[in-house]
Order: sequence, then C-alpha cells, then structure tokens
Amino acid sequence: MCNCCSSNNHSHNYDEQNIFLPKEAKIVRAVQATATERHFTLRMASGEKMKFDPGQILEVSLFGFGEIPIGLASSPTRENTFDIVIRTVGRVSTAINKLNEGDSLFIRGPLGRGFDLNLLRNHNILVIAGGIGLCPTRSLIQYIMDRRSEFKKFSLFYGAKDPSQQMFLEDLANWRKSNDVDFHETVDRGSDDWKGNTGVITTLFKKSSITPDTKVIICGPPIMFKFVIAELDKIGVARKDVYVDLERRMKCGVGKCGHCQINDKYVCVDGPVFSFDEIQNLEEAI
Amino acid sequence: MNVYFLKEHDFNSFMSKMIESKKVIGPVAKKSKFVFDKLESPEQLRLDYDVTILPPKKEFFPTCQKLVCFDGNKFEGCINPQEKILFGVHFYDVKAIDMTDHLFSEKNQDWNYLANRKATTIVASNIQKVSGRAFFASVGKEVGPKGHDAFITKINGGYVFEAITDKGEAIVKFGKFEKASDSQKSEAQSANESMLGKCPEKLKYSSSEIADKVRKNFTNEKLWEEAAHDCFSCGSCNVVCPTCYCFDVQDDWNLDQKTGTRSRYWDACLTEDFSKVSLGGGHAENFRESRGDRFRHRIMRKATYLNEKLGGPACVGCGRCSSACTADIADPVNVINKIMEAK
Repeated sequence: MCNCCSSNNHSHNYDEQNIFLPKEAKIVRAVQATATERHFTLRMASGEKMKFDPGQILEVSLFGFGEIPIGLASSPTRENTFDIVIRTVGRVSTAINKLNEGDSLFIRGPLGRGFDLNLLRNHNILVIAGGIGLCPTRSLIQYIMDRRSEFKKFSLFYGAKDPSQQMFLEDLANWRKSNDVDFHETVDRGSDDWKGNTGVITTLFKKSSITPDTKVIICGPPIMFKFVIAELDKIGVARKDVYVDLERRMKCGVGKCGHCQINDKYVCVDGPVFSFDEIQNLEEAI
Repeated sequence: MNVYFLKEHDFNSFMSKMIESKKVIGPVAKKSKFVFDKLESPEQLRLDYDVTILPPKKEFFPTCQKLVCFDGNKFEGCINPQEKILFGVHFYDVKAIDMTDHLFSEKNQDWNYLANRKATTIVASNIQKVSGRAFFASVGKEVGPKGHDAFITKINGGYVFEAITDKGEAIVKFGKFEKASDSQKSEAQSANESMLGKCPEKLKYSSSEIADKVRKNFTNEKLWEEAAHDCFSCGSCNVVCPTCYCFDVQDDWNLDQKTGTRSRYWDACLTEDFSKVSLGGGHAENFRESRGDRFRHRIMRKATYLNEKLGGPACVGCGRCSSACTADIADPVNVINKIMEAK
C-alpha cells in the first residue's frame, strides 16, 4: 500500500520506462557562491558515474517542493561527481539552497543536447559568459582546460554585474594566471577595490584578438546576445560557428509539457545548446 | 476484421453486459451538455450527443495525474493502468487521441500516458447530431481517424459494429451480434458521410495553404494583437482542446508533511505565466509576454508547428474552443480565415 496516495497497486513494471522517476544524488560539497547562488557538488547515491556532455541539463528536485531545470556546471572529465549552481529564486530553489553536505537531491537526466565537442575540437574557442551563464558554460570550460591539447586558442570572457556577483572564485584565480586560457573579465559596476575592467561584456573584445575562424559559445541574459552577435559579425565569425545556450521555463525536461517551446523546437530536447544559424530566424528565440 | 449488426432492442442488454464486466466510459448528459463519464447503466449512454465539454483524452491524461509518490526521500512511480472501454467517441476525437498517442510516444516515451492508453479499448461512434461550432469536415482532411478498436454506427433498426482490432472484436461477445449485410454496411457508410456536410463552420483552404500563410504571418504583430485584443488569458481554449497536452508539474504535501505526490496538471499556453521564468529579486523574463504572443503561439501550434510530426494540423474541428471562449475570439475558423485573407 502506498502511504502517500493509498493506492494498492502501483505497477513497478514501468519503473525502467518512467521518464519522471528521478535518481537520488548525495551532496558531497555545498558552498555559498554568492549571496544568492549556492554551488553543490553531487555524487549519485548508487555510486555510478553519470555520463553527460558539457552543456546538458538536469531536472533537480526536492520532494514536496518540486523540480527545476539546471545546467550541469562541471565537466564529465572530472571524477564521478558533478556540479550544479542554484540561484535562490522561488520555492524549489529556496528549499534546495538550505541543504548541506550529506543531504540528498533528486535528479533526472542528463537531458537535452549539449555542446557538440566534435565540432569544437581542433578549433579556436571563445566562451562568452554573462552572469549566471558561467555555470552551464563551466562544464565546457573545464572540459577544454582538462583536455587542452584537443583545442587551439581558448579565450574566455566573463561579465558579472558587480564584483560581489562573481562566481567560482577559485576558478577565476586559476584562469587569471593560467597560460592555457586567454581570460578577460568585466563588471558592469566596479567597487572600491575592483581594479579590473568595468563595462558591458562586449568591451572585452578590444582586450583580445578574436579571429574569424573561432568557434564561439554564448550564454547569458537574453539582452546580451544581440550585442555580442553584432561584435562577432564585425569580426567576421560565421553564424554557424556561434553556439548559444538558451534558458526557458521547463517543467518536464523531456519534450512534452510545452513550456520551453520556441516555434517547433523544444529547448529541453533540441537544446539548450543551439547553433546560432539554427535559431536566428526562429522568432521568439532571442 | 468483421462487421456486425446489432438490433436496436438488443442494444441495452449488450451495454448492460459490458458494463457488468468492464469499466465503461461513455457520453452522458450533464444538464444541457454532455461529458464522458463512467456508465452505471445503458440508459445513461447518449450516443446522440453533439460534443462533450471536455475531450476524452482525460481518460489517459487526467486533469491531475500522479507521477511520483514520496515518503520522505523514498519514492515510487504511480503508473497504474486500469482496463476500460471508452465507448462512443466521435471521429474527430479519435483523430485527436491518435495525435496525443504520437506525441507522448515520440522520442522520450511517456508511459504515464501510454500505459493508460494501452489499457483502453476505444469504440468510436457516428455523429448523430452536429454541434453549433463544429468544422471537422474541413480541417486536416489528409489525416483520417485511426487507433480506435471498433466503430459503431446507428442505422435504421439497430447498429452496425465494425471490429477493427482484436480488442474491438472482443467486445462482440457481450451482445447478440450478427453479420452485417452489405446494405447495412452501406447505410452505415452513408450515415457517416452525410454528417460531413452538416458542419455549421468551414475552413476555406487546405491544410498546407493554411500552414504556409499562417507561418508567413508570424511577424504580423498587428494581426495578432488585434486577434487577441479581447483575450482574458484564461486558457479555456486550451483546456477544452482535444489536442492540447501541455502540463505543469507540481509537488503536493499530504497533511502529515512527510508524504506527498508529484503530479502533473493540465496547463494552458494562453495563460500569462506559462513561459515566464523568475530571475530572482522580483525580476522575471516572460518569453511570450503579450496576449498577442500567446494567442499566436496557440494558432501556430494548431496550424503549423506540429504538422510535420502529425501529417496535418493539430486541430480536429470539434469547435470546443469556440464555445468555451468567454470573449468568443478563439474560433480557429474565424482566426484562420481572417489570416488567409490578410495581405
């Protein structure tokens, strides 16, 4: 007898095929990344290593509160753990962000289409991450840093609203001194002790030398896309070489519930990563 | 498969026997309208209904469906199919069910729907009375009804019952069926064909012409804003639609605050929050912010987006949305004919 709905006969015959059944994951590390973002490192409770592509998403849940779609924030090249970062926004994220090491989260996934690494290998790469857009792109950034020889020049532009909003401070410190990445950062509004660049993310283009043969990945607030695309057009980067990581409301993550639909595409299964030429004529996409 | 005839005076005993041994859902009267409901007696069955308030999809895809039950951190799936017979489904709803079958089966198969669907025997029935807003004869003509197990047609003196699948054939044992004669078969055929001419509303163009022109008018903001001007964003058009299948997923605690369920609820893309994402700090991004955006999305979804997958439009011409719309602006015939006449 099921305690919660008084049913006598849930059929477990369908468990393998039930796309809504999550799996348990244990929090092995929980760090407050900013005042509103919490960074979790998770391991599947079963001990299995989750196979995923950088850029894929998870439906993350806590029973009684609900599920939210979250991009994977670490690379599959890392151990058998994976990272997610959750911003405290609503009911589910507020409940999740009260959790600590040893607590459980429930996940479905990996879901959707991530970055096609075969298209990126042996090319110059530029990742442009605005705000919380650094979280899903970190899965690719880590991948490139871990397998650096598979890629040519690697540039990374990161913009945050102000220095207190910067995330992954250890990573930032490493990237600043690393010779493996041409790293540039900016904040919209500086602070007294901020000595770096101030201004929107497109101001970073003049700090680097991006060539037209670069594959570019963009993730950030919708407003950022059109300004970045305009800069890339000036440089002469082909739109098919530009990849965007889109955000939408997603309730099911499996292409059924309709919330993330853009024209005939579902962001949760056809994306969240799209090449820009796939969606540039798709109204409502950007 | 076989085609049978059942005499008028044998019909109630057939239904009685079926109701005794199986759960049977059929059209019944509810005040001046009709609904699909569990039959307790043959007298309740109203095969002379025009259209039901809600489409029969609720038998596989209930308005609220439990997906996961939890107790603390323990949980289990809630797939629990119940054998049933869905009796008296008009052909437009059969078409719609076939569409949702396809959509829940493609890519990630959703057994929360499919298990219920597989446990159901569908007996379609001929339309004896046409509803005031129906246009089923002029929409998606390239897609015929399929996926039903039997088709029953009222003719003079009785019913012609065409068993299409083994599940349909299995129903015959409940009644005194005899082989239908050729004249009975042709009478049934003309009964079905003649109803097509009785639709009060009509689309004037083919599905592909419509898909083309509607798609081309995506950026005709004025058209959409005008069409949606009186929209209350209530989502009634979505809720009564047999091909709408959007849903929300929510967790609910039981009173003990320890156990509960994760369920899906019918959702509606016309409602304001449907595509809204919270950004924190009281900010939000709504990807379909205006009523026009949302109204356009519904028409696009019915007339163009799913056509490739379904072989035709995701509209079957039942006219439920037209009747349900408070402002009477949802009628696809009016909207589409107007778009077709736009420059």
